[in-house]
Amino acid sequence: MRIIYADNNATTGIAPEVYEAMIPYLTEIYFNPSSMYDSARSAANAIARARNDIARYLGAKDPKEILFTSCATESNNTAIQGTAKANPNRRHIITTSVEHPAVLEVCKDMQRNGCRVTFLPVDGNGNLDISTFIRALESDTLLVTIMHANNETGVIFPIERLSRLTKETDPSIIFHTDATQSVGKLPVDLEGDFRYVDLLSFSGHKLHAPKGIGALYIRKGTPCRPFMIGGHQEEGRRAGTENVPYIVGLAKALSLGVENQKEEDERIRNLRDRLETSLEEKIPYVQVNGKGAPRLPNTLNISCHYVEGEGMLYQLSAHGICASSGSACTSGSLEPSHVLRALKVPFTAVHGSVRFSLSRYNSDEDIDRIIEVFPQIVANLRKLSPYWDNKENKPRPDAEKMIGGQE
Amino acid sequence: MAWEYSEKTKQLFMDAVHGRPGTHLGEVENPDGLGEHGSIACGDALRFTFRVDRHPKDPKKDVIVEAKYLTFGCTSAIAASEALCTIIEEGGYTPIEALKISNDDIVKFLEGLPEQKIHCSVMGAEALEAAVYNWAQKRGVDLDALGIHIQSPEDAEGRIVCKCFSLTEPYLKRKIKELNLRTIDEITNATKAGGACMSCHHVPGGLQDLLDEIWGAAAPKPKAPPAPVEVVETAAGNALTMSPYQFGKKIEEAMDHYVRPMLQKDGGDLEIVDIKGTLVYAHLKGACADCVAAGQTLKLLIEKTLKDVVDERIRVIQV
Repeated sequence: MRIIYADNNATTGIAPEVYEAMIPYLTEIYFNPSSMYDSARSAANAIARARNDIARYLGAKDPKEILFTSCATESNNTAIQGTAKANPNRRHIITTSVEHPAVLEVCKDMQRNGCRVTFLPVDGNGNLDISTFIRALESDTLLVTIMHANNETGVIFPIERLSRLTKETDPSIIFHTDATQSVGKLPVDLEGDFRYVDLLSFSGHKLHAPKGIGALYIRKGTPCRPFMIGGHQEEGRRAGTENVPYIVGLAKALSLGVENQKEEDERIRNLRDRLETSLEEKIPYVQVNGKGAPRLPNTLNISCHYVEGEGMLYQLSAHGICASSGSACTSGSLEPSHVLRALKVPFTAVHGSVRFSLSRYNSDEDIDRIIEVFPQIVANLRKLSPYWDNKENKPRPDAEKMIGGQE
Repeated sequence: MAWEYSEKTKQLFMDAVHGRPGTHLGEVENPDGLGEHGSIACGDALRFTFRVDRHPKDPKKDVIVEAKYLTFGCTSAIAASEALCTIIEEGGYTPIEALKISNDDIVKFLEGLPEQKIHCSVMGAEALEAAVYNWAQKRGVDLDALGIHIQSPEDAEGRIVCKCFSLTEPYLKRKIKELNLRTIDEITNATKAGGACMSCHHVPGGLQDLLDEIWGAAAPKPKAPPAPVEVVETAAGNALTMSPYQFGKKIEEAMDHYVRPMLQKDGGDLEIVDIKGTLVYAHLKGACADCVAAGQTLKLLIEKTLKDVVDERIRVIQV
């Protein structure tokens, strides 16, 4: 059975060109880039080239502003804990209630360590309220950490505006953005629109590089203590022998992403829009989460009321279709998605959410197939649902009341 | 990161190691000038000796005719020593003229050095100074009277904190104490340390750690620019003479009276989103919101009006 991979916000397949670029550094050029001999120099040079390329693609002024890490989670930990350590006189952090756990949980831990944290709410579409954000900025604020694009809904926050307001209010406040879902998909220009951003995290495996490589952009002069110490690598700002093949792979993946951005954006957006419109047409009682907000072109988060997500994923999987859900049963923690909860999506729909996330490797046929099978999958489950009236093919009149108690 | 040595550096090193003719490895017997710099403890040591053609009447006109070195150190330290001796012999300098040879000249002769290795060239220049000092003592030349002051070389030894400018921990600590430097900015202004790549600011053993070590962790950290909220509440001399409520009301009045009528003429309007101290967050609406000159409008029309009418410290931020 052919696999239709529509879970690219979870991870992506390695691009063949990326794999090719990495091979020499997985085989004959295995040297430690810190070693002295000539052979090691080609490893060190490969890192230098990758750093230059990445800096250029992101519009960073100086390649030294790019720090290689093991993943975006490490980059986020470094950004948040490192700035808090370097600025002990300030104790307030601003973030949002829809961040990835790699930011959200770190902020909660900072709370346990004596920081005050403001978790900004979002509206039903997933948008932030600008005046609430402005009110949250305090004289004690050390860090604002707000994601660029949401991994679950694809909703894009106006980082250009938020970072500018932050810096115009007080240039000493550090602005961090987790751009894991957007780098390679949306334009990022650190000397242009993003010139007020001090720190920016992303990782390789969301853009067709392997898992195990990430990066943190640190604008020159931003006070941030290292998270990993114990070596001189990365100017002492991130210790540990450099992961040469993966660094090379990351640069290659980003170059592919940036080069194809415009073309891909259009084609993938069309695929996503077609999927979205068709499912809305064919399935009653659905809602597209984040529909009223600017969104990533590749993400569709759709909630089918009165059915449970895991049951849908299971049947999709039987058709070879890979997707994910915000339902509690699929989360590992048995908690429904905090992102959809923050959007005030009702429980009936949070559990019935499915996320399709596309990449440049998806085709028209993939979308056709999903449109073909998904409505029936939902219908199958609704037949079993205690909240569903099969004769009328709509929710039972007392369905909302039955669920009401769960809130 | 592997060191990137120039071809010239590698060549000089190989020539010296193999004792090829024309290299300067060794020691001048009964030298007229002897200078040492560095120590095994810090990984680099250089013993530099020279012989002069003595001028019969004026020792200041002695000319260096032979220069040699013994070096304990890395590839670039040996190449830098070779470079120093070659430059001196070829130049036919007097010892005092030789003092003008700087580490830059050595780096140039070597066709560049990796930035982590610049201190090797400094070592050559420092050893030369010491040797000239030694010559001056032997020949009874009063360097001070000639306006030449040779400094103690101790500062060049020790762990390098700022790689870009090769500045060591002992040197920086001394400067921090001597000049009462309290912030990273002050260190950079006084010594250049941390002024280029800035990586050494917050790494372990970096500039902030040196400050904390010397002044204690409770040392005054870089002063944040006066936070907007505090302008109203604390800064006594700077305080608003009215309450935040009155202040807000005044701003709205000024808007209604002077600003909105002008904007509305062009089909636009304006909303005050928030006021923090003297920061006014304004949102342009209608035709003004999309206007390319929105930023200009805010600064020139609105901020200027508020400064004139309400308080000159007001700053308008476009939302």
